[in-house]
Amino acid sequence: MPYKNVLQVKSLNKSFINIKAVDNISFSLEEGDIFAFLGPNGAGKTTTLRILLDIIKADSGSIRWGLNGKESLLPPADQIGYLPEERGLYLDVPIIRSLVYLASIRGMQPSQAKTTAMEWLEKLGLADRAKEKLQVLSKGNQQKIQFVAAILHKPAFAILDEPFSGLDPLNQEIFIDYIKELNQQGTTVLLSSHQMSLVEKIAKKLFLIDNGRELFNSTITDIYKSFGSQHILEIKFASQIPYDQLQRLGNTESISTEESQQVKLILRPGTALNEVLKKLAGIEGLTHIQSHNPNLHDIFINLVRMQKS
Amino acid sequence: MNYYKQVIAVTLWEYRRFFKLKNELLAIVIMLLIFTLSYFGGKYAASLASAKVHLAVLEDSDSQLIDMLSKAFDVEVIAPEHKEKYLEQIIDSNNRLLLMQDGEGFKLYARKKSGKLDELQHVLDGYNRIKTMRKIELSAENLALVLKPAPLEEVYSYERGSRGRTILAYFFAGLMILAVILSFAYQFTAITGEKQLKITEQIVSAIKPQVWMDGKILGITITGLSSMFIYSFIGILAGLLYFQFSDRPITDVTQYLHLPSILLYIPFTLMGIMLWNALLAAIAAVITDPNNSGKSSLMLLPVLFVGASFLVLNDPDTGLSVFLSWFPLTSATAMPVRWLVTDVVWWNLIASFAVLAGTFYWLRKLAAKIFRVSVLISGKEPTWAEVIKLTREA
Repeated sequence: MPYKNVLQVKSLNKSFINIKAVDNISFSLEEGDIFAFLGPNGAGKTTTLRILLDIIKADSGSIRWGLNGKESLLPPADQIGYLPEERGLYLDVPIIRSLVYLASIRGMQPSQAKTTAMEWLEKLGLADRAKEKLQVLSKGNQQKIQFVAAILHKPAFAILDEPFSGLDPLNQEIFIDYIKELNQQGTTVLLSSHQMSLVEKIAKKLFLIDNGRELFNSTITDIYKSFGSQHILEIKFASQIPYDQLQRLGNTESISTEESQQVKLILRPGTALNEVLKKLAGIEGLTHIQSHNPNLHDIFINLVRMQKS
Repeated sequence: MNYYKQVIAVTLWEYRRFFKLKNELLAIVIMLLIFTLSYFGGKYAASLASAKVHLAVLEDSDSQLIDMLSKAFDVEVIAPEHKEKYLEQIIDSNNRLLLMQDGEGFKLYARKKSGKLDELQHVLDGYNRIKTMRKIELSAENLALVLKPAPLEEVYSYERGSRGRTILAYFFAGLMILAVILSFAYQFTAITGEKQLKITEQIVSAIKPQVWMDGKILGITITGLSSMFIYSFIGILAGLLYFQFSDRPITDVTQYLHLPSILLYIPFTLMGIMLWNALLAAIAAVITDPNNSGKSSLMLLPVLFVGASFLVLNDPDTGLSVFLSWFPLTSATAMPVRWLVTDVVWWNLIASFAVLAGTFYWLRKLAAKIFRVSVLISGKEPTWAEVIKLTREA
């Protein structure tokens, strides 16, 4: 079965007074994707998502939706789920009522919404608290309810803006499972985050963005193929870092200080690791050395540096 | 999902969120308690105040004065040598007075000023009038002739505007103010509360700002009307009970019920309430923090404008009255009032209503537009100039 684009974004631009928030970006999602929109805070992720949802208008560019076989220029609200970065729910209303209302304004029948909401609450272990007000739940449970509110109407496309923010590590893992499950049930997922290590666990494709501009747009496999073969060395010294000697090693793309006695070397692609290790062995005061390939975080930092230089 | 289904969903949500029958009944019970306490408390205070004050006069006072004073005071005539002793008693008593006739005037001794002194002044004025009439030899009959008003027979060709209908006008305007004031609190919570709870972004990703705003306006209007109907219903029940236990005929009230006026008032009042709700919603959409916003005071505008529409009752045919009956912020009450008390041609009623409805239509659009541009503004509250600029750009 051929893949088809459910969202196609071309040459999107948006400026606010004197800030270029989104700078000529293009990307597309196919049905069944988990597409990660990655970048630091203020990179333009949330602005892009708000444009996609028609909450704010783009200055230029085009957006084309193709959900459930129907083409449209505006987002079909009943087929889209949205978990905003700034999230909240009615604190003074019973949980079940809030969930049913939010699903019903997206087109779900209230009776069906109630049944599905109860199924989700059952799964979350919160079924017995359905009639309680949200304000009595813990923050972690409130976040779970907010997630359910965003996807209760079984959307064909879910936009999750910073879904892991404010969650403890345990709940982060739980949310990763929820997103995987959602995707397995047929929902295409566009998630935006600055927590790259978490996104790496679920995304199939990614779009790296910084200062509103595209840094990289392809699959996770591709990014590692392109930038993941370099060696990164984490080195600790007993006393001061001998920067002069490290510079003389050659083959280094960057040297950055991690702590007062710890340094991180990124070797140029194709550099033979054993040659560098031999040279390092001759430097006095070296106490610890660890080699690894770059993770997504390292690649992103490197790409930002490359773009600036 | 179409516009109407979504508006109904938001309307019902707002209504169910804010209209709580239990709270309404509790408010009525508290109101009845306050009414009962003030009624019996007032009666008790009046019974205390009606106790006659002890007033002493000297033996040589005019007997006619003593007679007149005796009707309002517990008068004691004392000998001049007991005056000092009586004055000593006054120092410790609020209930004792000493009045001395001093030539043409009087001198009063009391512990402190009280309401009883006004009554005393009234008696002394009467006594003085009689004394002066006696001096100029004017009989009571002649005085009555002098003070008799000029005979004037009033014949009107236009006989509407009876007292009953004026009262009906006040009743409907009162209900409108009540509904708008009740809605005011809900509107604030509904709009600024949602912004503070950060729910708005989730909502506007699902429905258009216009749907959201229309649902809010309708939901809050129905909530205000429900409260208004409950209060009216309780008022009617109380009225029926009153007539059941008093000798007054029920026609004392039913004479005010004039069907054509009621039929005219209902659409004007409903549209007026919706117009005010749309305006209040537009104001609330700009406010980010209701506790610290200077714009919150604008929410009291309805009372000012609805109050101003009553200027029409003084003289319904002046330029100001005509203006108020067309100006959308006052016409909901001013036009029906003018219709009651002066001659207004039928098409004026229709045209004024059309202007009112048109303004409501425009205000709800404006409110949605303001909401759309202000929903993403957090932190510093935008100024009106910024709101106008952003609204034009949207």
